[in-house]
Amino acid sequence: MSTSPAKPGGPVLTADGTPLKTSLERSLKLSKLRALGLIVPPLLFLIILFVIPIGSLLTRSVDDGLSNKVLPKTLAAFERWDKTSEPDESMFEAVALDMKAADKLELSKLGTRMNYEKSGWRSLLKITARGLNRVEGPPYKPAMLELNKRWGDIKFWQSLGAMKDPVTLGYYLKAVDLQYDGNKNIMRVKKHNRIYQMLWWRTFLVSLIVTVGCLVLAYPVAHLLATLPLRLSNLLMICVLMPFWTSLLVRIVSWMVMLQRNGVVNDSLVSLGLLHDESRLSMMYNFAGTVIVMTQILLPFMILPIYSVMKTIPSSYMKAAQNLGATPALAFIKVYMPQTIPGVGAGCILVFIVAIGYYITPELVGGKDGRLIGNLIAYHMQNSLNWGLAAAMGTILLIAILTLYWVYDKLVGVDNMKMG
Amino acid sequence: MMRNSIRTILLSTVVAVGMIGTAQAEVNVVTWGGAYAVSQQKAYGDTWKGETINWINYNGGLGEIRTQVESGAVTWDVVDVLPDQARTGCDEGLFEPLDRGMFVPAPDGTPMDKDTMNTAPNDCVAPNIFWSYLAFYEEGTFKGEQPSTIADFFDVKKFPGKRGIHTWPNALIEMALLADGVPIDKVYEVMSTDKGIDRAFAKLDQIKDHAVFWSAGSKPIELVKSGEASMSLAYNGRVGAAVLNEGEKLVPIWDGQVVEEQWWVVLKGAPNAGAAKKFVAHATAPQQQAAQAKWISYGPMRKSALALIKANEPWHHSGVNIMPHMPTREEVLPRSVFADPAWWADYGGEISERYTAWMSQ
Repeated sequence: MSTSPAKPGGPVLTADGTPLKTSLERSLKLSKLRALGLIVPPLLFLIILFVIPIGSLLTRSVDDGLSNKVLPKTLAAFERWDKTSEPDESMFEAVALDMKAADKLELSKLGTRMNYEKSGWRSLLKITARGLNRVEGPPYKPAMLELNKRWGDIKFWQSLGAMKDPVTLGYYLKAVDLQYDGNKNIMRVKKHNRIYQMLWWRTFLVSLIVTVGCLVLAYPVAHLLATLPLRLSNLLMICVLMPFWTSLLVRIVSWMVMLQRNGVVNDSLVSLGLLHDESRLSMMYNFAGTVIVMTQILLPFMILPIYSVMKTIPSSYMKAAQNLGATPALAFIKVYMPQTIPGVGAGCILVFIVAIGYYITPELVGGKDGRLIGNLIAYHMQNSLNWGLAAAMGTILLIAILTLYWVYDKLVGVDNMKMG
Repeated sequence: MMRNSIRTILLSTVVAVGMIGTAQAEVNVVTWGGAYAVSQQKAYGDTWKGETINWINYNGGLGEIRTQVESGAVTWDVVDVLPDQARTGCDEGLFEPLDRGMFVPAPDGTPMDKDTMNTAPNDCVAPNIFWSYLAFYEEGTFKGEQPSTIADFFDVKKFPGKRGIHTWPNALIEMALLADGVPIDKVYEVMSTDKGIDRAFAKLDQIKDHAVFWSAGSKPIELVKSGEASMSLAYNGRVGAAVLNEGEKLVPIWDGQVVEEQWWVVLKGAPNAGAAKKFVAHATAPQQQAAQAKWISYGPMRKSALALIKANEPWHHSGVNIMPHMPTREEVLPRSVFADPAWWADYGGEISERYTAWMSQ
């Protein structure tokens, strides 16, 4: 780079002789880098704590590579089989050779996975793996039937069909009470074991009732908040926010005290003679309990967005409408309410989305029929360790929420949404 | 100002890192809460001369453990696990295999594995306790004949009132079949057939409309004491504690109890594995196993520990006999079912689904 003094007509140079353009570019680049540096921590945070885990969970929901890795010969033999006749020696040999060659740890993990398709696989693989060391084959068939008679049960062999591909939709099917049969045709699961469709429906219903309940309760409160004189509205605002700041568990436990069969509400109704002692209301540990407690907990999420919109509506609009001859009710419906739509929309979508994935409240007060899909996801994450199914259910939930958001955008427009 | 706060942050980071460094010398023991954890702290923790023990509570399940081991960021050392977790976790390589020679033999020299009332399912587990699901009621609830069998629990005509049952199927299937007349040694055979499961659910149907569902271990006592239920199932230790510590007049029905195991394990890659194993050897010694029963009515797995308790009654810390509350005493064993974790490992998932469906119909 030239350090000679500037010549007239040449590029403008800075004090150290670099052309001004280059110097400017360099300093701009530097500031851009610095700006980038500033967003690196949140970006890394997002990638590490959000994108990677969600991505890996999504892959888990379709990943079925283990069976192909551990049982390649078995699955090849399965393809050749007609799926109805009694399995012959070649199939038994394939299983025996696969199992003898398998890594012990992978084999037991596979046992857990295969047990999802047919109960009993887990111990069948375990017993066989233990006994197979002593078996010198071929033939393997008689020895394996000896080890466990379940090898003679054709249903176990047929269930391999659901696991033969490295990528599966099986978990998604299971999440809506469907499954693959031996030929990979989709069919419904046994009648007694259908729970997921019901749970999805229930989750949707609870979220809907809670959203509507919140809206009905929040609208007048928000209106009061927006129209009362400052001194009173501040007090009211504190009343709205106080429960919001109180620990979730404290609020849930207080509801238990209030609503249980021998709780405050039932006791008062009985002592007032409104209710017979035998016919106390069941409002806790069931559907009703979940709905009541969730409505109270999510109420601020509805009040605040609606309030923030109402606050911006000048009172002169209502006065003008009435001046032009509208009754107060008509003016309210025709002039005031349409202007609150952005707040109502924001509140509804917020409450609905939070409600649909709710976990802790239904877990504690749900009892027999108030538990939601979130509780089943937690169950499969923590207890059954069926992470594939949990991931599939989570993905469905995510898609449902995104769809909802999209529909909302089409109907109301996300730009109109005011979060407060 | 700015520089000051940066200095504070740096300093506190250094302190925090230092604390993580010292935390390495502690053993993190993860167990269940309540009176059970207290009994362990007294029997195993207070008598331990080694590293500091950090008692951590959890709610069971292998989810957290699997996350720790698979991500390589293991912070727990010793965990108190249920029978199915003890098996699945070892199968999945989440636990450290334990050298069987490290355990303290019985006073008569019997090695630990021969001294337990059951057989260890694998080399990862160390003996802990037995507990049971059982039915109970409060004295004075019923006039005349008192309930005495598990069949009485399912008989709402003879003994009216609501029944407290838990929100998962373990033990309930076994009890329903026992109440329906299945002999104890045939229970799991019957349960392994579709017909047997149908039979169990048919029996459960008889109390369906009278059922109050609980999920927290403290709830059954509350349900029965408040009169919301006339009988309930519960963990035997909770009933024992209410009777022994609070002086409640609760009557356990030992007939048809379902006995479950509880094991100790050391996590694979535990940060302090050496000390953890030493702690497990200490906690599983007959003397400590027996000491645990001073505080809660759970049966030690080791025969020599139970013998120790029997020989030294009154053993409970309050000065009363603990044996009448032990789920593993000889008198009640003929009418008890030992839960079969292998069966539950195979069928648990399917049965849970069916039970959930049944519950919310």
